[in-house]
Amino acid sequence: MHNPDDELEEELRRLAASRDPVPAQLHQAAVDAFLWRDIDAEIAELVYDSLLDTDAASLVRGPADQRLVSFAAGGMTIDLEVTSAGPGRTVMGQITPPQRATVDIRHPQDTVTVEADDLGRFRSGPLPRGPASLRLRPPPDAAGPAVITDWIAL
Amino acid sequence: MAVNPDDTGQLVRGAAGGDEIAWRGLVDRFSGLVWAVARAHRLANADAADVYQTTWLRLAEHIRRIDHPDRVGAWLATAARRECLQSLRVAGRTLPTDDMDRLDLTPVTGNPTEDAVLAAEQEREDADRAAVVWRALDRLPARCRELLRVLMASPPPSYAEVAAALGLPLGSIGPTRARCLRQLREEVAGITGGASSSN
Repeated sequence: MHNPDDELEEELRRLAASRDPVPAQLHQAAVDAFLWRDIDAEIAELVYDSLLDTDAASLVRGPADQRLVSFAAGGMTIDLEVTSAGPGRTVMGQITPPQRATVDIRHPQDTVTVEADDLGRFRSGPLPRGPASLRLRPPPDAAGPAVITDWIAL
Repeated sequence: MAVNPDDTGQLVRGAAGGDEIAWRGLVDRFSGLVWAVARAHRLANADAADVYQTTWLRLAEHIRRIDHPDRVGAWLATAARRECLQSLRVAGRTLPTDDMDRLDLTPVTGNPTEDAVLAAEQEREDADRAAVVWRALDRLPARCRELLRVLMASPPPSYAEVAAALGLPLGSIGPTRARCLRQLREEVAGITGGASSSN
């Protein structure tokens, strides 16, 4: 069995393994990703991301350093405006229908908690770039499960 | 029943049930593929790291709702590709990386006994060949470079995974692979002045 194409592909594979392997700390981060699951929460799926919107109209919708992202779960929508702030990012959010909630902004190094007001609005301080997911907890006097958003790279 | 690490469907179902060993099996199986997708899109280190991490966090969150557990590799490749396209569109993050910069081809020098000299010679030849192939890869048209970088993942990805990683039709992978490997050979021959080894 001497298929020259297969042999060359194997040589390339060895080359990639020695020249450009998966960094060990990233492999470990992938293993640790399992610990971030929240099996009781409802997942809000990513339904819009201006970065993936190739519709020409979106190009005039806002400044280039502003990204609009929407998540939906059941009857709830979470709209985010992500702004680059130097090396970091800030997030302004709107929960629809408007409601109070405690918002955990989760990223692999840390979790930052902010409060959404009666109108469902919230705002973060500076956040590091990288993966992030929001976890919305209803106020103590309201029933309902927590909602977590899909992970996105800020 | 022990989980078979070659049965990805079983690994997905195990992880969905909370089995950390099964999850680890998935990471071991597809870590190289997710990294290769990021590299095929020429993302620099920090961006490739974001794509890689975000992709795995998304899978962990969605693990109980994967429609086709045996096709989780294609799911990961698709998710990673989408993250790459987002990353490439973020202003100021579009500087491509050049894998060539990562090469370290300094010959190893050891004790000058005869064996060591021969070993060093062999090592230098291997390094020369590696450098030539690496350079040849870089000279290929973007589409070939991308395809080969994904195919180079360890363990080898399926054609369905490669197609998902690059947004290409499944039927095009085989013929494109053959054409790109031929072009790679020609580039290698060009660099070595036609005096390269048979492959």
